[in-house]
Amino acid sequence: MSSILWPFPKGRNSPGIAAAANRRVQRWAKKRQGTDPTITRLQPGRVYILPTGVGLIYALMSFAMLLGSMNYNNNLSFVLTFMLAGLGFVAMHQCQRNLVGLEMSFAGVEPVFAGQSAQFRVAVSNHSKSARHGVMLYSDESVSDVHDLPPGESKVFTLAIATDNRGWIQLERFGIRTFFPFELFRSWAWLHMDLRGLVYPEVADDAPQPPPTQSAHGHRQHDARGEEDFAGLRRFHDGDSPRHVAWKAFARSGQLLSKQFAGADTSSQWFDFDAVPADDVELRLSILTRWIIDTDRSRADYGLRLPGQEFSPAHGEAQRRQCLEALAMYGLDGAHG
Amino acid sequence: MAKPRGTDGSLLTSLPWTLAALAFALAPHVQFLPMWITGAFIICAAWRYVIEQRRRPLPSTWFRALLALTCFVGVLATYSSVSGVGPGSALLAIMAALKLLETRKRRDQFVLLFISIFLVMSSLLREQYLWSLPYLVLAVLLIMTAWLRMSATEQESASRSFRTGGRLVLYALPLALAMWVFFPRIATPFWAVPIDTSSGTSGLSDTMSPGDISSLSLSDAVAFRVAFDATIPQPKDRYWRGLVLHRFNGRTWTGNEPMADRSARDNVAVIGDPVAYTITLEPTRQQWVFALDIPYTWSLPRTSMGRQYQLARVQPIDQRVAYDAVSYIQYRAGVELADMYHEWYLRLPEGSNPQTAELAQQMYAAAGSRAAYIESVLQKFHQEEYFYTLEPPALGRDPVDEFLFGTRQGFCEHYASAFTVMMRSAGIPARIVLGYQGGEMNPVGEYLIVRQSDAHAWTEVWIEGVGWYRVDPTAAVAPERIDAGMSAAMFDGAAAAWGLSAPSEFLHNLGLSWDAINAKWNDLVLGYGPENQNKLMEWLGMEDPDWRKMMLTLIGIVIGMVILISLLLTLRYRAPRSDRAAILYRTFVRKSGVLQTIGETPVAFAAKAHSGSMLDDDAIDAITTAYLAARYGIPDPQSLQQLELHVNQLP
Repeated sequence: MSSILWPFPKGRNSPGIAAAANRRVQRWAKKRQGTDPTITRLQPGRVYILPTGVGLIYALMSFAMLLGSMNYNNNLSFVLTFMLAGLGFVAMHQCQRNLVGLEMSFAGVEPVFAGQSAQFRVAVSNHSKSARHGVMLYSDESVSDVHDLPPGESKVFTLAIATDNRGWIQLERFGIRTFFPFELFRSWAWLHMDLRGLVYPEVADDAPQPPPTQSAHGHRQHDARGEEDFAGLRRFHDGDSPRHVAWKAFARSGQLLSKQFAGADTSSQWFDFDAVPADDVELRLSILTRWIIDTDRSRADYGLRLPGQEFSPAHGEAQRRQCLEALAMYGLDGAHG
Repeated sequence: MAKPRGTDGSLLTSLPWTLAALAFALAPHVQFLPMWITGAFIICAAWRYVIEQRRRPLPSTWFRALLALTCFVGVLATYSSVSGVGPGSALLAIMAALKLLETRKRRDQFVLLFISIFLVMSSLLREQYLWSLPYLVLAVLLIMTAWLRMSATEQESASRSFRTGGRLVLYALPLALAMWVFFPRIATPFWAVPIDTSSGTSGLSDTMSPGDISSLSLSDAVAFRVAFDATIPQPKDRYWRGLVLHRFNGRTWTGNEPMADRSARDNVAVIGDPVAYTITLEPTRQQWVFALDIPYTWSLPRTSMGRQYQLARVQPIDQRVAYDAVSYIQYRAGVELADMYHEWYLRLPEGSNPQTAELAQQMYAAAGSRAAYIESVLQKFHQEEYFYTLEPPALGRDPVDEFLFGTRQGFCEHYASAFTVMMRSAGIPARIVLGYQGGEMNPVGEYLIVRQSDAHAWTEVWIEGVGWYRVDPTAAVAPERIDAGMSAAMFDGAAAAWGLSAPSEFLHNLGLSWDAINAKWNDLVLGYGPENQNKLMEWLGMEDPDWRKMMLTLIGIVIGMVILISLLLTLRYRAPRSDRAAILYRTFVRKSGVLQTIGETPVAFAAKAHSGSMLDDDAIDAITTAYLAARYGIPDPQSLQQLELHVNQLP
């Protein structure tokens, strides 16, 4: 949002007194409001309002026009001045009423890999009989899309929060705000729903080859996906070896396809934390993450061995989520929820 | 959405409205602006619109800089100064045009809308007609709609923005009215108002040469309006004194001396009944103040009487003013005339108009007395072939001689000038009075309209024992001019010969009604100053109104109204009073065993429940219908009862 709409610096990256004041005010609001349930209706007492930069210019202009009207003793420009002043008052109340009574409910956040942004979804419902205009959610670092809320309707707003590290990403506080009607005022409410989402470890870019598959017969094979028995073609995924691309098929159809080999079906693969060829714990977790998502795509069974935890070989969505969650939370004392 | 380089990509929803608001704000200025400024604005607006529509890039920075420089030099060249309403609005128009060419973002449009507000304001400073009020309300509505369009989401249609804007303006109107009534008016300006010379008004000037007044005689413009308290003087007594000229160079009369002379009124002895009246004087951009004959009292501040009984204000009349005055039609003025002044009023330039001087001496010798001489000069005008005409022939070096002995066609200034020269040549002190004579009674509003065409010049002569005495030589030539007024003299009579036809009775009456409405408008709205405000406050029951009381009342009323508006909005944006319906519905959702996703409408959920729930389909439908009615329908306790009944029957 451009700075003219909101003259005060916001969030953690603003230096100096303004930021300190901002933090103080937010702490005060948090203390005053307490932690909000995940379904919260905005009461009038918690919808704050301040003029924007444009609003201040507008006030200044109205004052200048008042002086001009007085000087010229011009009754029609008095009318104009007072209409603008009246509109200012009306805009102030309209702006605050545009938020009061909205019902906000947390609509979930999908887990993401570290480095991606977590998409916190919040549904905002308008139960009143009048439309709400130009509503948006915001946090310290991001702003959602702007939506109108016709009477009786709900909209899901998405706040993208950048993630750096695996584990829990917390959204302690976010806000809902509006500049409606004339962007002269900024009306907002802070919500402390204590939302959190899971962040999987970062996916390693150039991971070493996964350990060889142990076949059902017990002997170690050269490659996880055996190349002896060609089983068919499937669509190319990131992480498939370029050696397996069916280049002839690509030349024919223009579609990238990977060759699949029957050897994989009969094998089960173990990913062992201790066996990962890397020193750093985070790097090991990243490599394991890479192996898991690659293997998951090929629908092969895999198991995961972490110190003190073991997931026996399986495949599918549940296995993937379980393993990635374990990796995300590895070594962190924060238990679930 | 793909955004063209350097823009927000969303201007097409708001730009037409911004352009419309700007054009509407600029419209009243067009007749005063030089053509090239209007042209530049139209070209820039059209250009900008095409750029937006075809997603072309904006003109380059150096081009805009060059254009800006050219335009500002152009404004400087057109106007000699940059202050005042004329150059100010020209600069605003140019700024709007140039700003359009660099408008990339929504925020740039704020500047354009601020400019349109200033344009509207400056048009009000220039002129305030009856239609200016609806005009400004419409302009505000348009500007505010454009303002809303600027931040409107794409779902929002233009007509809805317009309605929202209308609703907000409607809320603001009572607030504006209250502030307008109660905001204390002050009498004196803070800073000197720059006099706008670009739009001169026609009217009397402080010199009189042949042809000056006849050039005014076709102007219908109102000079002032007069409402009489009781008696309305006869048309022949309606002489509205403005300036007095005593210096003559053979052709042009000058020498009005408006300096205050406290003793001036002392040597006027009034006779008979006073005439009390109120004059609403249109702006003249001159100092002089008109009053009936010789005024005795007047209410206009900083106005005083000069030595020759003419009124003048310290500052020029650059806005319409209203003042009460009392005059006497019968009086003896200046019975004592100091020798110095005696000599003043006899002075004539040496060697000018020699024939007139000779004739005057002959006639004076023949008449014997001053009174008889005056009578014989008037008789000469009356009986010989002198004509009263709007289009007198041009006069050369000795205009009085040429008029009296040659052309014999003249307007009031010719007769007054010739008569005064004749008087002075014969040793009778005389001077010229400029002002208005007559006026038309408006039966609709019961007031007198004095127009520029009523401008008149007459003579005052000084007679021993009598003092200054008015003689109107025009009355000798064209008595109907004095008795029936200018329009009668011109239109009904001789004027037909010049191809001017009298306007039809109906149109004329319509014009009078319109003028009456305008007079009321001027009085009630435009003339709402400190005096009228005090009267209104007293009428409303405020004792000794002063600005503190008014300000307190104003603040009180505004707070009250804002609370009222707030309540109105609360009512409008009120959520359903009870959440009983929602609680019951949640119970239903829980019992259905189907997961409701966030944002799912009850109808969509019902469809899902039909297939996924063990509950009876009829119960699901009944509950959904009752819930929708209870929560979003017209408030009705029955639908809530229905909902409660159905939910309680669930297994």
